[in-house]
Amino acid sequence: MTQNQREELPIDVLFVGGGAASLAGALHLNRQAKENNLDLEIAIIEKANEIGSHSLSGAVVDPRSLIELFPDLDINSFPFEAPVKTERMYFLHKSGFKLGFPYIPKGMSHHGCYVASLGKLTRWLGEKCEEEGVDIFCPFSGDEVLYDENDCVVGIRTRDRGIDKNGDQKPNYEQGVDIKAKVTVFGEGTRGSLSKQLISKFDLMKDKNPQVWAVGVKELWKVPEGTIDPGYVAHTLGHPLGNKIFGGGFIYGMQNNILDIGLVTGLDYNNPTIDPHHELQLLKTHSWVKNLLKDGELLSYGAKSLPEGGYFSMPKLFTNGALLIGDSAGFLNGMRLKGIHLAMKSGMLAAETIIDAFKENDFKEKSLSNYEKKFKASWAHKELYKARNFHQGFKKGALFGMLNAGLALYTGGRGFGFIDRMEGHEGHLEMQKKTKQTINRYKDLKFDGKITFDKATDVYHSATKHDEDQVPHLKIIDPTICFDKCKEEYGNPCQYFCPASVYEVVEENDNERLQINFSNCVHCKTCDIMDPYQTINWVTPESGDGPAWKNM
Amino acid sequence: MKILCFVQNDDGAVNPVSKEAIALSQELKTKLNGELDILTFSQEISTELNNYESNNLLIGNNSELANYNPLFYTSAIEHILNTNDYDLIILGHTYQARDWVPRLSARKDIPFISDCIDYTIEDNSIEWIRSLYRAKINSQLKSKSKQTIISIQSGCFKADDTVSGQTEIKNIELDLSNVNKTIVPGEKFKESGSQIDLTSSDVIISIGRGIGKEENIPIAKELAELTGGLLASSRPVVDSGWLDHSLQIGSSGQVVSPKLYLALGISGAIQHVVGMKGSNSIIAINKDPNAPIFELSDYGVIGDILEIIPKLNEAIKDA
Amino acid sequence: MKIVVLMKQVPNEDAAIKVDSSNKSIIEDNVTFITNEPDTYGLEEALLMKEKIESIDEVVVCSMGSSSCQQTIKDALAKGADRGIFINNSNQSNQDPLSRAKIIAKVLEKENFDIVLSGLQSDDDGYAQLGILLAELLEMNHASLVMGAEFIDDSTVKVKRELESGWFQWSELKLPISLTIQSGLNQPRYASLKGIMGVKKKTIDIFEVSDLELNDIDSKTELVKLFTPIKTKTTEYIDGSTDEIVEKLVGIMKNEIKVI
Repeated sequence: MTQNQREELPIDVLFVGGGAASLAGALHLNRQAKENNLDLEIAIIEKANEIGSHSLSGAVVDPRSLIELFPDLDINSFPFEAPVKTERMYFLHKSGFKLGFPYIPKGMSHHGCYVASLGKLTRWLGEKCEEEGVDIFCPFSGDEVLYDENDCVVGIRTRDRGIDKNGDQKPNYEQGVDIKAKVTVFGEGTRGSLSKQLISKFDLMKDKNPQVWAVGVKELWKVPEGTIDPGYVAHTLGHPLGNKIFGGGFIYGMQNNILDIGLVTGLDYNNPTIDPHHELQLLKTHSWVKNLLKDGELLSYGAKSLPEGGYFSMPKLFTNGALLIGDSAGFLNGMRLKGIHLAMKSGMLAAETIIDAFKENDFKEKSLSNYEKKFKASWAHKELYKARNFHQGFKKGALFGMLNAGLALYTGGRGFGFIDRMEGHEGHLEMQKKTKQTINRYKDLKFDGKITFDKATDVYHSATKHDEDQVPHLKIIDPTICFDKCKEEYGNPCQYFCPASVYEVVEENDNERLQINFSNCVHCKTCDIMDPYQTINWVTPESGDGPAWKNM
Repeated sequence: MKILCFVQNDDGAVNPVSKEAIALSQELKTKLNGELDILTFSQEISTELNNYESNNLLIGNNSELANYNPLFYTSAIEHILNTNDYDLIILGHTYQARDWVPRLSARKDIPFISDCIDYTIEDNSIEWIRSLYRAKINSQLKSKSKQTIISIQSGCFKADDTVSGQTEIKNIELDLSNVNKTIVPGEKFKESGSQIDLTSSDVIISIGRGIGKEENIPIAKELAELTGGLLASSRPVVDSGWLDHSLQIGSSGQVVSPKLYLALGISGAIQHVVGMKGSNSIIAINKDPNAPIFELSDYGVIGDILEIIPKLNEAIKDA
Repeated sequence: MKIVVLMKQVPNEDAAIKVDSSNKSIIEDNVTFITNEPDTYGLEEALLMKEKIESIDEVVVCSMGSSSCQQTIKDALAKGADRGIFINNSNQSNQDPLSRAKIIAKVLEKENFDIVLSGLQSDDDGYAQLGILLAELLEMNHASLVMGAEFIDDSTVKVKRELESGWFQWSELKLPISLTIQSGLNQPRYASLKGIMGVKKKTIDIFEVSDLELNDIDSKTELVKLFTPIKTKTTEYIDGSTDEIVEKLVGIMKNEIKVI
């Protein structure tokens, strides 16, 4: 098929990415369209084989968006694990010491929320979408944003399928399709690859704080009956991250004797040898945690980055022909540790904006700017605004961060009580050069294969798979940097910050080479975010490739 | 307990898995105080079969049985089952058996537990073990039927355990005139440039990162040739571009269960192990005493493969 | 002419497969379900046959299991199959191949399919029997491990069968036939966007096992347990000088494992 014959699929609204934001947005749009007598062709494209396979979160979900979207449903029919029953916050020390916080401030409490699996939730939303007539195209990876001659977004081009590792066509080669839409909504999740292009092209981060991320690494364990109750929620500080690294641990009780344990590590740390997977293993060496897991069995492993920058790190949310929703737009409340309800709300606000756009037949900025107006008038804005300086307070360590957070609660979100907008910082620039003083945090860490596991074993449990015969989807823009500069300066931190052992420095024939085990990739985007030279560019792999998570 | 062991004829030779089936049948006959009849459709191999201890050596005769044909084979065995009361029919799980035995199972309404790797005797009844999900977990099954057909996986029982002894030859003329000639197999042929099928080899010589450089691979290849096996590898060797992906063993490659898996310089990461843990015997050679491969190997050598393999090759040539 | 393709939904083996506490099933909390890969070659073969041969009017996909396996049918419809048959049987994992074949045969016999295609085996149990059991129950001719098929005339098909050790064989069969397809003989196509959109317009006929009025479908084998194979032997280390090690290895390979 030549370029001229490329297949085109014209629809009305396209949602790129099948996560909570797009699913809620598409469903709401579909209903609103029917109410307004608009016959809209709405579709979602998702790179995973099925909705939910690439979804990963803690999670403790604020049900308000689901209640808004399904006002007639009983709260018990939502696909949650359990209402939050027991809420704990602990300070841990590696000696085994554990101190419970006697009081959790209201702004950080999870009361009224639900322990949930994002995978289960998105699958449920996906079913609702299909029942109500929204087309979900799985698996289809978005490759390129399409523009008209005036740089208005007119849709996306899906990735060619059936290309081998040399870039040649395989027998089942299929050229990518141009899906043309009047409005394209980008809900790709964290560090979306097309959103990244859009943000750069239209300078959507102008006058904003740079976005800063964290990576959540988690495992699901099958534990003996009675070990943990569904609805149990515990967050931890202290061990293993200590004072200087942003983040903390979580342990949630799910149904069916599943224990959900994870660690969030801020991707603005200084030590270039920090390894988020190893940090999670260190968390499990604490005697309290070890005791919970000792008779259990590891079932699943996964990782995903999250946009932690908060309100001032959100890009401009619209451009001609396009809107940004969910994690791609930074709709995450770092203080409450919640983003799913905000993602869904952002999708719903986008839907309402689009209805107005169709009524006016205007899909340009003039009409789409209503999205930001609607956002500013919503509870989502109020919530995000209050937490606007949360992450930035941690620049000087956890103690200052908590102090900042505490003061912010009483001052409507002002930094340390009085700074309206605190300065942000790009995470990868915080990484310091490797010196003899660089601490090896893992010299005493041994993987026992029962509670703690090496990366290869954990990656095996992520059920991730990529067709080996394809061009790697992790592109190193300047590969000479790896051994000409990075090795000396940072010690090739990609080997450490990737939670899936994708990057490996291999000695071969007295030379060193960077081996990219792209088939291990779990699509967390940490490398794209944290590489100090920003020379790694993550793009979507062959459609359907990636993790096969069930209830992450 | 009356056992019938069907022996496949491979162009005038006894099929090796059939030999393993004979060994198993003889073992069960002894353990369960039963009787064993061995069945073949070939006069040619009956000479060899005459040496195995059994109650009867049945030779089914009909010109249509000279070459394999699923409808004729099914009907032939059907006749034999109709005139004898067998409890257990045992044979090797060969491509040929896969092709006709299910027809027999459906025709006679008897369960066919295919591809068994082991058995155990509980309360005087046999429970059969099969491997599932490509050797990740095993199932243990028992038959609730008076008659059961069992096929065994190659290499799980030892052909050398066959017992020599007496038997009584019985020639059986089979009337297969009512069998339809609606399946007509043709001549066998080989194709040039056939794909290497690692799963069919009894011996796999597998190399890992410990091989060091591409220049060292020939010694492993030689070992493969000397043992009548095939060369394979774990991921890193393929990633370095030294061997083709078709020779990769593991979760993103092939799953094998040969008689002997020789792991040379392979650490034993789980992604590799799931591709070979079903092997009958595993010998691992690695410099690192903590390599996880030693957790599943039957024999382990902590040593340098680059020193050991050349000497091993020489010793095999002399043996 | 009509083709029916048997497709099974199986646990995704890329997930960690573990036995649950009942010892009779696997833990499913971490396991997604996918279409049995060998069956995808069967579907592709059917779609290619329909494209090549005018007299083939319909490709039907049949799947049996719990309701989630309707997704397997939908995926096949999106790729170009015309119609689906779903046999609702949540007890499938407790049934042996013969019982399952009897249920499927009861449903398929109403339609008099000319060709039944299936994958050579399922990646979960791997019995490799269904296609051939059906051949007997539906009075069809059959061939297993098929690498290629050609129509010689309206009622005869020539198939290339794979044999052991790199041998092949042609076989001529009279219709109706059941073929089990060897993996890798074709490259299964992707479902196109239009294909996915078109699924809404296609039908899936649903059958309940209880409605089929079958008498003798109780499994004739019983699962005692599932277990993770553990090595019972401890590793026997061979040491000494290189020459001594080599000598012992040769001895083991010759006398114990018997490969030289």
